[in-house]
Amino acid sequence: MGLAVVQVAGLAIHAFDRIDVQRLAQARNVAVRVMGLYRTVVMTAPAEREAVLAELRHSPDLSVELSNAPPTAELPEAPPFEQRMLRVNLNLVPMPPQLHPRRPIQVLGGAGWHRLVIGLHLPDEEQWLNFTLDVEPLRPWHSPTFLAAFLLMTAAAAGLTLWAVRRLTAPVRTLAAAAEALGRDVNAPPLPEDGPLEVATAAMAFNTMAARIRRFVQDRTEMLTAIGHDLRTPITRLKLRAEFVEDEEQRGKILADLEELEAMVSATLAFGRDARSSEPVSSLDLAELLRTVLDEAGDARPEAAERLAYEGPPHATVRARPLALKRALANLVSNAVSYGGSARVRLGPPSEGMLAIEVEDEGPGIAPAELDRVFEPFHRGEPSRSRETGGVGLGLAIARNIFRAHGGDVTLANRPAGGVKATATLPA
Amino acid sequence: MLRVMEQMPHILVVDDDREIRDLLARFLEKHRLRITAVRDAKEARRAWSNGHYQMVVLDLMLPGEGGLDFARWLRAHSDVPIVMLTAMGEETDRIVGLELGADDYVAKPFNPRELLARIRAVLRRAGDAAEHRSEATGRSLRFAGWTLEPARRRLLNPEGVEIALTGGEYDLLLALAERANRVLTRDMLLDLLRGRQAGPFDRAIDVAISRLRRKLEDDGRNAQLIKTVRGGGYVLAATVERT
Repeated sequence: MGLAVVQVAGLAIHAFDRIDVQRLAQARNVAVRVMGLYRTVVMTAPAEREAVLAELRHSPDLSVELSNAPPTAELPEAPPFEQRMLRVNLNLVPMPPQLHPRRPIQVLGGAGWHRLVIGLHLPDEEQWLNFTLDVEPLRPWHSPTFLAAFLLMTAAAAGLTLWAVRRLTAPVRTLAAAAEALGRDVNAPPLPEDGPLEVATAAMAFNTMAARIRRFVQDRTEMLTAIGHDLRTPITRLKLRAEFVEDEEQRGKILADLEELEAMVSATLAFGRDARSSEPVSSLDLAELLRTVLDEAGDARPEAAERLAYEGPPHATVRARPLALKRALANLVSNAVSYGGSARVRLGPPSEGMLAIEVEDEGPGIAPAELDRVFEPFHRGEPSRSRETGGVGLGLAIARNIFRAHGGDVTLANRPAGGVKATATLPA
Repeated sequence: MLRVMEQMPHILVVDDDREIRDLLARFLEKHRLRITAVRDAKEARRAWSNGHYQMVVLDLMLPGEGGLDFARWLRAHSDVPIVMLTAMGEETDRIVGLELGADDYVAKPFNPRELLARIRAVLRRAGDAAEHRSEATGRSLRFAGWTLEPARRRLLNPEGVEIALTGGEYDLLLALAERANRVLTRDMLLDLLRGRQAGPFDRAIDVAISRLRRKLEDDGRNAQLIKTVRGGGYVLAATVERT
């Protein structure tokens, strides 16, 4: 916008300048021709003047006549600036003093400057020599180099402006991207601390903040992992002790409680481990993995086995961390089975480089306000739901961490037909 | 069963937690196994030189000299079967242990009955295939283009792409591949799945075999790789290379 204003101003200055130059040149040209004719006429004897004029009247854009009166064309008087310029130029033409016109030169002409009428009072007769000239219109844009110069200037200005804007906004964009990356992965690489002072300071502040967040997350994860590790020994002891409980029913209940406890510890440890994600990436068959996850869910809960289904291609190779990905998918399926009593898994064809895995259930769905909160670590839905499943509220958090670490994501939505649909994405 | 009664297998249990050690010894003795329990690698070495053991159950997280070092020492001296107790979630320890030549592992906190089932399966395998033992452990098994990696408990297809297996499917396939071209009875296979799965075991075997066939792209009605033997058994019909 500013650039356009500057260009227009530059253009206007250029045009006015050209108009002035052209006017001056025309004025000089007119003056030389008019005074030349005038001089010839004045130096001729009065009786022969008409004849001389007839001979000289040959130019198409100029007509001259001898008259008894000053010019009375129906043209308005020329604007003062043009008049003065023309008069100055007429007077500049060298002329012996006795030949000077007796009265001041009369100049008539439109503001448009198309036709000029000039009257000169002869010094020796009560007669006027009146000129009518057609003046070439002013052409401020008429110049062979003008267009090229104008385009070059515009392009150069635009290029420079673009470069400057980019240079100024690049650090802001880098910062935004870094903040985005940090949101997805606390171990994202730090920002380079270079560039102009302000930018370097901002990058340094951002890196300090990221380090603090990382430290905080690490502390929390380490604490969880330590608790999880420490719980393993007592749980193992209790499981062994349960084997010596004579009462079958009591033993079964104790073991079930311990399974639940172990599942919580296992989820907590998995949450800590996935933050490190040290498992190497390898090729695996995603379709086969999905079916295996469903098979295992069916083996663990035979009563739901009938309502587990896979739809999709028989094979689909992806690069991923096999154990982590299996855990993420198992969490989605187990969520669907726990809350919705069924799981329909669909693997779609790759679209824009991403594969979409949909896990649908036929449960009561989730309140819209909860749809994103259920991904928060340790967040639990309504109390009734969590008691039933005995989770710690880490399943979805773990799944999201894993998918994001793979360059994908997972979201939940309520299905119009009822139930919840989890959509996970992975780079194809 | 008769054989187990006749000569109770002697097992060396190494675990640093006194209570776990004692409880585990009592539990396994209740199930007709002879147990000597020690607390660290030093005691284990002493016990090893003074007795004769059919198996070592080894906790990897030992104070002082670690469980992995002891396993390495043990492997250098003997090919006694080793079942490791690993920490839940410590995949690296498990992989290193299996690569060292441990036969199986159970993650703490383990289910005692699952441990018992593993111990029995490994004992049976050891007695069954004693001649293969030293070369079998820790190595990859290749058959018909497929690769089974015991160290990572995974199956790779001919293109090197991992094909997911459930725990039970893996155990079955490993048992079949280790004894390729020999018939495994349903009873033997049932032993492997015990402690792994809920529900009727009988059906579980058939289900697991049919899933394995699907994964190995072996046509169920005209199976070429995992063949059904009349009279109740299965055989892996392929040449197995150990690499």
